[in-house]
Amino acid sequence: MVTLGILSAFSGDNINYLLGGLVITVGVSVISVIISLIVGSIIGIIQFEEIPYFSSFVGTINNIIRNLPLLLIIFFVYFALPRIGIHLPIFLATVIAMSTFESAMLAEIVRGGLASIDIGQFEGARANGLNNMETMWYIILPQAYKKMIPPIISQLISLVKDTSLASGIVLAEMTYRGQIVYAQNSTYIVPVLVMLTVVYFLLNYGLSLIAKWFDKKLA
Amino acid sequence: MSMIEFKDVEKYYGDFHALKNVNLEIDAGETVVLIGPSGSGKSTLIRTVNGLEEIQQGQLLVDGFDLHDPKTDMNKIRKNVGMVFQHFNLYNNKSAIENIMLAPRLVLKRDEAENKRIAMELLEKVGLADKAANMPSELSGGQKQRIAIARSLAMKPKALLFDEPTSALDPEMIGDVLDVMRDIAADSSMTMLVVTHEMSFAKAVADRVIFMADGQILEDSSTDSFFKNPSEPRAQKFLSQVANH
Repeated sequence: MVTLGILSAFSGDNINYLLGGLVITVGVSVISVIISLIVGSIIGIIQFEEIPYFSSFVGTINNIIRNLPLLLIIFFVYFALPRIGIHLPIFLATVIAMSTFESAMLAEIVRGGLASIDIGQFEGARANGLNNMETMWYIILPQAYKKMIPPIISQLISLVKDTSLASGIVLAEMTYRGQIVYAQNSTYIVPVLVMLTVVYFLLNYGLSLIAKWFDKKLA
Repeated sequence: MSMIEFKDVEKYYGDFHALKNVNLEIDAGETVVLIGPSGSGKSTLIRTVNGLEEIQQGQLLVDGFDLHDPKTDMNKIRKNVGMVFQHFNLYNNKSAIENIMLAPRLVLKRDEAENKRIAMELLEKVGLADKAANMPSELSGGQKQRIAIARSLAMKPKALLFDEPTSALDPEMIGDVLDVMRDIAADSSMTMLVVTHEMSFAKAVADRVIFMADGQILEDSSTDSFFKNPSEPRAQKFLSQVANH
């Protein structure tokens, strides 16, 4: 019976269906990663620069977002925004919610990375005649990002895992599709969950290997 | 014409009064050494000259620009006033020659071939032509400081500020750095302001010596008269303490 469950759980149709979910999981992840790396960097730099009022305003909003559960942000974007007339397709809603949350998390990593750079690097550049933008772009950011790669990758691993929360708004990503598959037949539960486990593990373990490789290379 | 001029300058860090009624004039081409016990405000004073520290009162004119005027573009001053730091502050992510070439490329828009030629000349001048491609982490302290000096010179500045350039160096490294500084001082058009504890360097190179304590300039006299015949009791005490080493 169990063997039969495994065989039919992994029928061609089911596998295709689950892999389609994987494509959505990876799609949400990749788009959110790109957006949150850019937005997170800008917010992190604003916080680091200590611009009067503006930086603390941005910092406060950032802190609020970081301390909310991601699922709540997803619900907010998908269920609350339509109430004020903003209707978003489910994929886009997920990407916006994830990017908002991850930007806030990455901003904190970027701010911390910048703060870890020796003040002498700033003074050397300024005394040398570079303006603030040039100092940041040519001297500070390249050094800061080198240090930030490991924490950024571990944040990205969380992001990939957290896409499964979007099953809460019925985004057809991999975890949600898993639920659909084992809803057909309870003997599919174990094989499907094992398969999801393996796929998530391989994805994120791959990312952590990249992080380790960078760690070694930069040590 | 004076290159650097302090008029009744006051500087505070919160409640701490770091510079007290500083009046000082340094002419173009002069080499001035600033000495005094630690905590006397020497580094603070030299760091106000290129705007790394702000002053709260008075007037500070550098190369004709008023540093206390918020409208003054600090980068225009820094183009003409280089600084060499105690801890070198080389760009850790750039090779030695890139450290030298970066600011001329970005700030002066110097032609790349010309930039490289000047950088190589300077590397030869400081005796490190063979280290052009090395990263700062591969250089000794003395080598880093000589690269840092070359980096400042590449901007062809009118004035150079040295903030304890040899204090972080191993004793055997100091000589090479001082030799380079002597060469620069021999160029009569370069204005040099040097904070240092190297009394032999001060004696040999300085036109004038300024002695500071507690944020005040206590003595400002020619090098000869300062070392032979210091008028201030605190300067006399300081010199006798340094001489005992």
